[in-house]
Amino acid sequence: MLERLKTLSELYGVSGNETRVRAYLRRQVEPYADEVFVDPVGNLYAHKRGSGPRVMLAAHMDEVGMIVRGITDAGTLLYDAGGIDPRVVVSKRVSVGPNDIPGVIGAKAIHLQSPEERKRALKHTDLYVDIGAKDRSDAEKLVSKGDYISFTTAFSTFGDGLVKGKALDDRVGCAIVTELFTHGYDCDLWAVFTVQEELGLRGAAVTANRVKPDIALILEGTTANDVAETPSHRSVTTVGAGAAITFADGRTIVPERMMTLLRETARRNGIPWQMRKGTAGGTDAGVIHKSLSGVVCGGISVPCRYIHSPVSVAAISDIEAAHALAHTFLNERLFDEVL
Amino acid sequence: MFKQMLQDLLLTYGPSGREDAIAACIERYAAPYADDIRRDALGNLIVHRAGKSGKRVMLSAHMDQIGLVVVDIDENGFLRIAPVGGVSPAIAAARQVVFANGVRGVTGWETKSKTAATAAMPELFVDIGASDRESAEAHVNVGDMCVFAGDFIDMGDRVACAAMDNRIACAVLLEVLRRMQTDHEVYAVFTVQEEVGLRGAAPAAYAIEPDLNINLDTTLTGDTPECGKLNMMLGKGAAIKAMDSSVIVPAAVRRFLTDVAEKHHIAYQHEVLRAGGTDTGAIQRVRDGVLAGCISIPTRYIHTPVETIALSDAENAVRLVCAALEEEALPVAPGTKPVV
Amino acid sequence: MDYMETLSALTSAAGTSGNEGGAAAVAEGLFRQYTEDVWRDPLGNVYARVGSGRPVVLVCAHMDEIGMMVASIEDNGMLRMARVGGIDPRVLPGSEVVVHGKTDLPGVIGAVPPHLLGTDRDAAYQLEELTCDTGYPAERVRELVSVGDTITFAPLKPLKLQNELVASKTMDDRALVSCMCDAMEMLQSRRLHCTVVFCATVQEEVGCYGAAAAGYHVNPDIAIAMDVSHAPTPDAPTYRTTPIDKVCMTRGGNIHPGVFQMLSDAAKRCNIPFEPTVVLGGTGTDARALQLQQNGVPTGLLELPLKYMHTSVEVGSLETLHNCAKILTECFAAIGDGWEDALCWND
Repeated sequence: MLERLKTLSELYGVSGNETRVRAYLRRQVEPYADEVFVDPVGNLYAHKRGSGPRVMLAAHMDEVGMIVRGITDAGTLLYDAGGIDPRVVVSKRVSVGPNDIPGVIGAKAIHLQSPEERKRALKHTDLYVDIGAKDRSDAEKLVSKGDYISFTTAFSTFGDGLVKGKALDDRVGCAIVTELFTHGYDCDLWAVFTVQEELGLRGAAVTANRVKPDIALILEGTTANDVAETPSHRSVTTVGAGAAITFADGRTIVPERMMTLLRETARRNGIPWQMRKGTAGGTDAGVIHKSLSGVVCGGISVPCRYIHSPVSVAAISDIEAAHALAHTFLNERLFDEVL
Repeated sequence: MFKQMLQDLLLTYGPSGREDAIAACIERYAAPYADDIRRDALGNLIVHRAGKSGKRVMLSAHMDQIGLVVVDIDENGFLRIAPVGGVSPAIAAARQVVFANGVRGVTGWETKSKTAATAAMPELFVDIGASDRESAEAHVNVGDMCVFAGDFIDMGDRVACAAMDNRIACAVLLEVLRRMQTDHEVYAVFTVQEEVGLRGAAPAAYAIEPDLNINLDTTLTGDTPECGKLNMMLGKGAAIKAMDSSVIVPAAVRRFLTDVAEKHHIAYQHEVLRAGGTDTGAIQRVRDGVLAGCISIPTRYIHTPVETIALSDAENAVRLVCAALEEEALPVAPGTKPVV
Repeated sequence: MDYMETLSALTSAAGTSGNEGGAAAVAEGLFRQYTEDVWRDPLGNVYARVGSGRPVVLVCAHMDEIGMMVASIEDNGMLRMARVGGIDPRVLPGSEVVVHGKTDLPGVIGAVPPHLLGTDRDAAYQLEELTCDTGYPAERVRELVSVGDTITFAPLKPLKLQNELVASKTMDDRALVSCMCDAMEMLQSRRLHCTVVFCATVQEEVGCYGAAAAGYHVNPDIAIAMDVSHAPTPDAPTYRTTPIDKVCMTRGGNIHPGVFQMLSDAAKRCNIPFEPTVVLGGTGTDARALQLQQNGVPTGLLELPLKYMHTSVEVGSLETLHNCAKILTECFAAIGDGWEDALCWND
């Protein structure tokens, strides 16, 4: 699974441009599926027919990133960004457009900034992408308005049992869902890889209408704010402390029986677990649970530090724990207990 | 008797997403008047009464209440919390709370630099009298929710309590079920998770596909010293909604309700609410649109433990809904033609 | 089709979000000039259908307008207002309006004369501070007006400026409703191999709710929203505006690349100047809702650049408007075999 995660993490797939991630996942799930298709919004579905309840596993393919929205006379690229704090993007390397044109995110050098400017945080409108073009027409030979811009961080193992890389939110989910799907379980099983989650849970909004699930399990990479000076109740999750079980976030309240079942399953099977302590943020469950006449949703997350930045950090043991918990839930048909 | 039922509803636990207890309580009151009762995947309580007019009316009132959820338990047994629904930290501090299992506690705050009035939500905590994590965890888990303990204050026609939003509307809806004489098929739905963003009502309406929805909720008033300029007042009758931040009620529905009120001499007032949404909005937007309106109970001090209403307004709301259901001709949506 | 005539009829109709009855009647009348296949859905959207067979293309332009609603009536008969949609209270003082009570009453929104102003001249007006004056005494006001009645800008005739520019209230988005009529007229002389459902939508300004219902109701194979974008003004950043003489064509996550291709190919074939504009996520238009109905809908977006949006003097170009209609017409006439392939994702 780590090998697959490395590939997934390094693929470019900014929200709205999930093409490469979708193509890769499609190849991964196709041998195990009865049908695979993509809907008009770009969500990828893999279906393995079975009797019993219709169980939907979901993870989003997209990652935070940018899009070219204008090219200046000087040949630099103006961009629009979603879900990224502008303070973390300056001085990073990026890749632009379908031809992977290398670029850097520039800003006025600190020496040239006035004392007032230095105190102020940089905004996206102060920043631009520089691909080395001489002027607008030079830039237009290589890139165009609407091209997507990705971070280029390489994936690697790191420290004691950790991994670092870009887009762990939510390529860890994609890796786990793929692993689960290829295993197969005693139910009508759907793996759904969604688009545009980072733009406000957009892709997932149509998925339940297609699948009509009895139950949906969402696999996510979630915030781990377990860094210095953060008190425990503000840390959301802790890297290395196990699979994070959601009771509620900003968009979903998980039914008590679902939350309890996941917690007791982890406890009983010796799977490391923690409760996801925040109630902010949202996952695709936020739109899936309200679809049709209502869908029971649960959430299992992998704690990731520094999500929505060019590099995030997760523990291999947490990824394994999240997988083990979801696997047990499916393998022992525990979904029957919440329906 | 209405007051007794209301009190029962007010003092039953049911924060958003944890509505089992309040649903069971409501079900007991609704059972004698129902042909069929069920709960859906999200927990909406759906009470069905058959009809013969061929028209299907969905009446709705949310049964959830605002509360707090435990996000962490520290080594000294203090419970850190986050809001469930629109809870202001200044109102959450220094209160009594109660959990589903009856465990009681109080809310404290970080006193070093803050007062109960200035502490932010992450600076608040619940004290259940536990001296360490282990003894706290014997009673409460992370993910458990508590609500503000209700104290029913009977001032005669006017009554106050926590959870008046929206148990007064649940009481009105139960009373309607008891009294109504109608040829229409009626679904009375006690919805979940309204306070966290109108989440429960739409899935219920999706399943029911009503011809008309009349939602029941509370609304703010403009009748207290130095308050915002609003038309609604306690004791002036059932409020017929024109707009809130979630919905603009079609003129046909408003006219139907005001005509019924005029015909039966039922006291009513018009409602325009600048901020705050209701299930009405979520229901209006199900599938290709549902004709939806709302009757509100004017309520002072909403989202505090002393939400105050006039029982006469509730009675007028009951009469108005019953009278509306007696009408043979219901308002009609602009169109219905199926397509392609 | 005479744009000034159609625009006059459309922009003078009252129709704040959620109360679009007046505008809907006008739109329905205009649609009926081109087809008898006209209907409404439960939310109040008005539809007209031309052509037959698949694919089914849904085109939406919204007919609702921003405005106000009477929130309370003061003892002296002055009306306090609540906003309907994104109205800017700063443009209201000194405005002439119509209060849609038992009858339509002219009203003015008061402004404090400069010599009575205190020191806070820089503070923007808040809607709650403003009042609407109908000139009637309180008793008469209470007979004629009730809380919940709507208030719209006075329907002055659209004003023709130089270079085919026109200024009016509610160009956003009735101009594009007139554009749909133009397209229907042009389609009468073209062969269609698809169904086109034109829809004047409700409740865009409060959350694109009409378009969501329309997408559900029609369940189209392709959807195209038509709305307004910003034309350059001296104070606006260039990357957020489109020249007033160019059709604005959006790309990004909200837009299916295949539909963008269809529209831009049509524009190129007709030699119509257009400019792509980029929005990463959901656009602030009906396209946002259309894309996410039923099983998902491949969606495109055409926009008319407009100056002074959400005021009573929104300025746009009639020539650009006609160009929008030409792009639509050409795009629909070109749809035939292979439309499904054009909408596949090329991974």
